[in-house]
Amino acid sequence: MNALTRPAPAFGPAPDLEPALLPWAPERMGEAPPPAPAGAPARRRFGPVEALWLPLRLAWRQLRFEKARLASAIAGVMFACVLVFMQLGFRAALFESATALLSAMRADIFLMHPMTIVSFKPEPLPRLRASQALALPEVAAAVPVYLTQATWRNPATGVRRAMQLVGFDTEAGVMDIPGLAPLTEALKRPDTMAFDIRSRPEFGPVARLLGERGPFEVQLGHRMMEVVGLIEIGPSFGADGNVVMSELNFRRVVKERLPSQVDLVAIKLHPGADRDAAMARLRAILPPDVMVLSQPQLVQHERSYWETATPIGFIFMFGSLMGLVVGMVIVYQILFSDIASHLREYATLKAMGYSNLYLGKVVLGAALLLAVLGFVPGFAISVLLYDVVGKGTFLPLGMDAARGFGVFGMIFGMCGLAGLLAMRKLRDANPADMF
Amino acid sequence: MTEAALPLVLRGVSYAFGEGELRRPVLRAVDLEVRPGEIVLLTGPSGSGKTTLLTLIGALRAMQEGSCRVLGQELAGASEAQRVQLRRRIGFIFQQHNLLGFLTARQNVAMALELAPGRGERERLAEAGRMLAAVGLGDRGESMPDQLSGGQRQRVAVARALAGRPGLILADEPTAALDRQSGGEVVRLLRDLARQRGVAILLVTHDPRILDLADRIIAMEDGRVVPAPQADPVRTG
Repeated sequence: MNALTRPAPAFGPAPDLEPALLPWAPERMGEAPPPAPAGAPARRRFGPVEALWLPLRLAWRQLRFEKARLASAIAGVMFACVLVFMQLGFRAALFESATALLSAMRADIFLMHPMTIVSFKPEPLPRLRASQALALPEVAAAVPVYLTQATWRNPATGVRRAMQLVGFDTEAGVMDIPGLAPLTEALKRPDTMAFDIRSRPEFGPVARLLGERGPFEVQLGHRMMEVVGLIEIGPSFGADGNVVMSELNFRRVVKERLPSQVDLVAIKLHPGADRDAAMARLRAILPPDVMVLSQPQLVQHERSYWETATPIGFIFMFGSLMGLVVGMVIVYQILFSDIASHLREYATLKAMGYSNLYLGKVVLGAALLLAVLGFVPGFAISVLLYDVVGKGTFLPLGMDAARGFGVFGMIFGMCGLAGLLAMRKLRDANPADMF
Repeated sequence: MTEAALPLVLRGVSYAFGEGELRRPVLRAVDLEVRPGEIVLLTGPSGSGKTTLLTLIGALRAMQEGSCRVLGQELAGASEAQRVQLRRRIGFIFQQHNLLGFLTARQNVAMALELAPGRGERERLAEAGRMLAAVGLGDRGESMPDQLSGGQRQRVAVARALAGRPGLILADEPTAALDRQSGGEVVRLLRDLARQRGVAILLVTHDPRILDLADRIIAMEDGRVVPAPQADPVRTG
């Protein structure tokens, strides 16, 4: 059956073996390399695409094979993704709503007392500063702004609730608020005000009443005031609703307030004036009881109060971090058990000549695939939740590209880190233990 | 043929596990040569060091003492990268088939081809299909390993070991997990394919049923190669 036709191998040239077909590399032995057989693959490295594609494909095939494990891994990543999106969304929404009032005030430059830390507890500054600012030729106009809170009686139920009042010279055109421009004429009349349509619904169906009956009276403080129109500001931490009125009407409502004590000064520059230069000059000429801010700086000042003086920022960062940690643990567990249950196969691959680097790429590839597979549904769910939750809480929840990419980066990093941790398990796949 | 051209030359290879007082030598000054195309069976009782020898030759373990030239590569003092490179030119067949459960038979064989660049996916799969046909499984290429019988799986493993055109095949009791008939088929297949390609085989076995395949039988005992009564090529007809 197995009678050998050739003699038992002996030392000496084996006549039936062509040198060109020697399966090992003669060039290593100092012999002349044989002519390469036609079509033989040249000894070269993989292209970068193939070097990444092949391990990634192996990772995908392995993930795909165990559907239940893949589903739980994707669910884990998705969970982390949604958690982080919601935390960051709430955080941004709270900061945004905290600064809603100041964000709605549009003017070139603002003056504020340096001891004012947050807009609903303003430190007054002398009204004189507004006139002093006019000393600069580039300043076109400067108007004082009064802020306070007073109770508003719900026109439907009669329940009273604290309302933010903003009083300034609405005719001067120095400060704009969304929706204010068409109302300037109406606001000139005594005892009129504009109601913030985005105020919480507890203030009553003002928009509907206004549509049905036209301007109507509401008790604000101890005075009956007429709602003549709607503006758009949005509730903030300090106040659930806002009304805007002329400076004169403000004084009628808040009688105890000294007109000489203002809370903000809004400044309008001549067209074409350099704002930064004007701000520098204002700082130079005005006494130190005034802080000169641009509108973004004013908003940032308010925002930094909520970020640093309250635990809000920390709470949400902590929540995001927890989401990432939980997601990482889930991904790590999945990858780890994947490796642990396939140690023999990984060891076989090593024995076949696959390097640790290659297998590391497989594990990392699996982690990053999970990142993508979990992020996509997580993103979709988050967009949906933003919509639902935003409508329920009146928080300005919205997805923007920066947050989308940012969270994707976090999820990618989370999965990558889990992959790197799981990779250590590959060391246990020792092919020497296979025999 | 010069010694350098032999696929496998071992000179004074010793190996020990453990350190200090626990040091336990498993190989003592082993000398061994395998000639091109030769089929060598390694037998001996458990603990005689066969498997350790196989892992050293297969570059799965770092050398301690002596010289081991495999396919022209000296393994004493070889780096991890050199050993990984060498493993690509060796075909391994294990006691268990160790196929990747999430790949089809054909994809498993193609894994041996993905180590060498220069071929497209289509060529690799075609070549893997040819290898499967050579082991008589041409029609089972798309089967998953758990849909195959033990003998079929081990034949896929043979196809995988040979697909990368290795210069040397190392097999560790490839019949141990198989019944008599399929075990015999697998080993004969391995021998025939290796003969066609002129590849040497070093096969560790306890299985007396396959001793007749060998060109040469080497017995080991207590970490040494011992003269065995069957150490001559078996030529029964």
